[in-house]
Amino acid sequence: MTHPSVIENVTCLGCGCACDDIDVVVASGRIVEARNACRLGLRWFGDGQVPSVVRVDGGDVTLEEAMRSAVTRLVEAERPLVFLAPGLSCEAQREAVAVADLLRARLDSITTSTALPFTLASQEHGHASATLGEVRNRADVVVFWGIDLAERYPRFASRYAPGPPGTHVPEGRRTRTVIAVDIGRATASIDADVRLAVEPANELATLIALEALARSPDTSSRYASLADRPWNSARELAAVLLSARYVGLVYDAEPDDRSTRTPVRFEALASLAQTLNDRTRCAALALRAGGNRSGSDSVLVAQTGYPCAVDFARGYPRYDPHSSPLGVLAHVADTALVVGDPTGVPSEVSGLTHLETVMIGPRASTVAFGERCVVIDTGVDGIHASGTALRTDDIPLPLRAPLAGPRSTAETVRAVKLAIRRLRPAGSGVGGAGRRALGV
Amino acid sequence: MIQLRIAGGSVYDPANDTDGDVRDICIEDGRIVASLPDAAPRLDARGMVVMPGGVDIHCHVASGSVNVARRLLPEDHGRHPATAPSLDDPAEVPRSGAAGTVPTTFTTGYRYAGLGYTTVFDAAVAPIMARTAHSQLDDTPIVDGGFFALLGNDDYLLRLIDTGDRERSREYAAWVLGAAGAYAIKIVNPAGVELWKRGTKERTDLDTTLGSSRVTPRVILEVLVDSANALKLPHAAHIHCNNLGLPGNSATTLATMAALDGRRAHFTHLQFHSYGKSPDGRWRSAAREIIEYLNAHENISGDVGQVMFGSATTITADAPVEYLLHKSSGRKWANVDIELETGCGVVPHEYRDRNAVAALQWAIGLELFLLSGDPWRLVLSTDHPNGGSFMSYPELIRLLMDRAYRDEQIGRVEQKLLAGSAVADGLEREYSLSEIAIITRAGPARLLGLQNKGHLGVGADADVTVYAPHDNRATMFSTPRYVVKRGVLVVEEGQLRRAPTGRRLHVRPPFEQSVTRDIERYFDRYATVRYANYPVAGLHDPPVPVGAR
Repeated sequence: MTHPSVIENVTCLGCGCACDDIDVVVASGRIVEARNACRLGLRWFGDGQVPSVVRVDGGDVTLEEAMRSAVTRLVEAERPLVFLAPGLSCEAQREAVAVADLLRARLDSITTSTALPFTLASQEHGHASATLGEVRNRADVVVFWGIDLAERYPRFASRYAPGPPGTHVPEGRRTRTVIAVDIGRATASIDADVRLAVEPANELATLIALEALARSPDTSSRYASLADRPWNSARELAAVLLSARYVGLVYDAEPDDRSTRTPVRFEALASLAQTLNDRTRCAALALRAGGNRSGSDSVLVAQTGYPCAVDFARGYPRYDPHSSPLGVLAHVADTALVVGDPTGVPSEVSGLTHLETVMIGPRASTVAFGERCVVIDTGVDGIHASGTALRTDDIPLPLRAPLAGPRSTAETVRAVKLAIRRLRPAGSGVGGAGRRALGV
Repeated sequence: MIQLRIAGGSVYDPANDTDGDVRDICIEDGRIVASLPDAAPRLDARGMVVMPGGVDIHCHVASGSVNVARRLLPEDHGRHPATAPSLDDPAEVPRSGAAGTVPTTFTTGYRYAGLGYTTVFDAAVAPIMARTAHSQLDDTPIVDGGFFALLGNDDYLLRLIDTGDRERSREYAAWVLGAAGAYAIKIVNPAGVELWKRGTKERTDLDTTLGSSRVTPRVILEVLVDSANALKLPHAAHIHCNNLGLPGNSATTLATMAALDGRRAHFTHLQFHSYGKSPDGRWRSAAREIIEYLNAHENISGDVGQVMFGSATTITADAPVEYLLHKSSGRKWANVDIELETGCGVVPHEYRDRNAVAALQWAIGLELFLLSGDPWRLVLSTDHPNGGSFMSYPELIRLLMDRAYRDEQIGRVEQKLLAGSAVADGLEREYSLSEIAIITRAGPARLLGLQNKGHLGVGADADVTVYAPHDNRATMFSTPRYVVKRGVLVVEEGQLRRAPTGRRLHVRPPFEQSVTRDIERYFDRYATVRYANYPVAGLHDPPVPVGAR
């Protein structure tokens, strides 16, 4: 065994918190320890061993052969789907979006099947938000609204709030009031000063009542006679929120089978946070899960204008979050390019065994969909390849590469992009006459 | 060796005292040279107007905040699809996107180049978001670009100011600029954004205190303006004054200019800071007071931040302003408090010519232009996309060059608040082509300290725009016949043909290394990003040199 080396300040993509204080210990080409990492982080780092298989239709081939097959199949596709799985650096995501643009493909990511209700609500309403550090440094009241921190964001409480001290909360937890709101079985797993149980059927009514109370003192007296459960809960919370200096309202943008998360519910949360700013300051934090999901949204927004559910069929990006859910479209697609860690691909895509697929990502060979499949294993961004990832609040962080590994996803997809471009010297437009535009 | 002779055009190169002279511009390997062999490829520019490539001193095109706006505007993008151009070079991948008030990255680069602009600066980037700004600039082709780092509400800096240690404040500013890969120091509503984060919604005046009597907007301005000058940065501190958009704010603006007392500084989007207040509380123009002060003080410069009628999106680090705008217009609102550094607010907006305040804002911008005594010190901007899109620059140029057209437009707008505006009194001035060349390229380049840009002298970057003259100046300036970027013909016969990667313009001023020990301790205590992970790495282009200290 070689002498272990320590790579400091490594960013973890185990969840959206993207802790960047992980010290990774490497010995004999393996990760033997990830100091500071939580349960999710330890799982994400693993021992850093990944396969390096290159395969076409089940048979091992050279990388050049696989690239040629991949490009041919993508270019000949009638209706391609490009899917950004979790686990990609922003650099890899940028290349993959370019491929979708060149192919006039449907482009999607994990966001469509997870955080779409939150996304639509925040596009409709806007949001009053902050980066995590602002809540850490300022919030004297922190509300955890139906979010299971222990399960999903294990280090949130100790790194951001309520644990650590901040510029305006010098004694950390002791200088903050913590409110936990349980929505049915969706427990806010945190040691709270105030805990409130809200029936899932009453969640929306409670949020609306709370916003009404926040709007003005007059409103509060006007509704004084209302005494059903939502109003009682809302009154209890409003008293604490309105006496705060800076409220951090923390919830989960990801789905949870313990509670229903509709766009209306997210709009009510966004609206509450905005309205609280009339009387105090409030920042809503809607947390995203791991694998640089925020990065994928941000890259898509910068390049296409939309965070997910983009269709390039007409030669320009069109936002299609409503009429063509991923599953429906994927059924009409004939070829899919899946970039990223395929274990994170939702069943709407992975269940499509009729598709020809090109899979470029770490461990692609371990999960091959369909019989006609080009598989190119790559390294893990953040373990074998450097780059950039965004934290759940869009703060960009460097990804380091503590281990050497297979070729990076970004480099591989970039080569695919340039090969496709060479086959289409005219520039804009692909396919032409034969191309079907879906949902048109 | 790539050579090109732009032959026989009327050259407007005010930095080299060339005012419409017919002569050839010779280009070799991306730079202007004195001469070329006769056999060199030539571009026939006879009868055309030749200028250096445009330089935008202040816009919002590449940052986390711009992305907050893009995300908020799917309906705007949906109305303005942008197909990919046909590019000749197979190594360049043509990209589609969306236009509208806040275009996507690739579309932004294509459209700036399509207007003959070859250099742009994003005016407001939180240093902690620098990686995002760089990656968006990487995806904004053709134009050379950079950004200004927001420092006027930086928590660590405010602490240093509270200790009275101006030297360390300066060294810290130098460290941040290098760590972020930024080009200049930006000050937005000094102290006012931090006060908003602390829950204050009142006006911030020059001597409003922030916790300690030692920390006021006045002191923050002095410290950062002095830092930029002492570090000999190519661009002065870029100042967005307190109280943007509020009636009566001209008093704050004038007080700020006076407070700097002879120091070099740049005042941005002055239109938004030139509002008077009548005794009855109504808005009125204070453009004349502002521009007369600027005319008389050579240490300061400005850009206008012209309002253009139509749809806009307001994006600013001045988050309290966006809260007020959201409250008054009812349009959707995004706010992001950015840890330890600054704020961010976004609200879509509509400037209607029948709306009295919008008409006044529009008139004030024109007044500033028309009363300006020195085009080198008052340059063109719309604060894209706050006052209007960069795509409206040609229309703005027409308003400045064509009095008859301008008078017609003035007659059409709501007159209610225009009393006392010099524009309403019928200003006769018409900008010449040479003056347009100054306010859109030579002037901004000089103010930015870009020695190789904004002119066509030997050694300059070969960024050249060729226009076909047209009586309608908006038509002329919206569709250049040719655009050359660093010697590459990117627009040919009005069509985008090439989209090479632009260069990054950034500085890396030297600083006293010992200051980093305390910065690191501060990071350990309050930041959520590790000190080691804060600086950007891997910028491909070398920094623009700063002067010797």
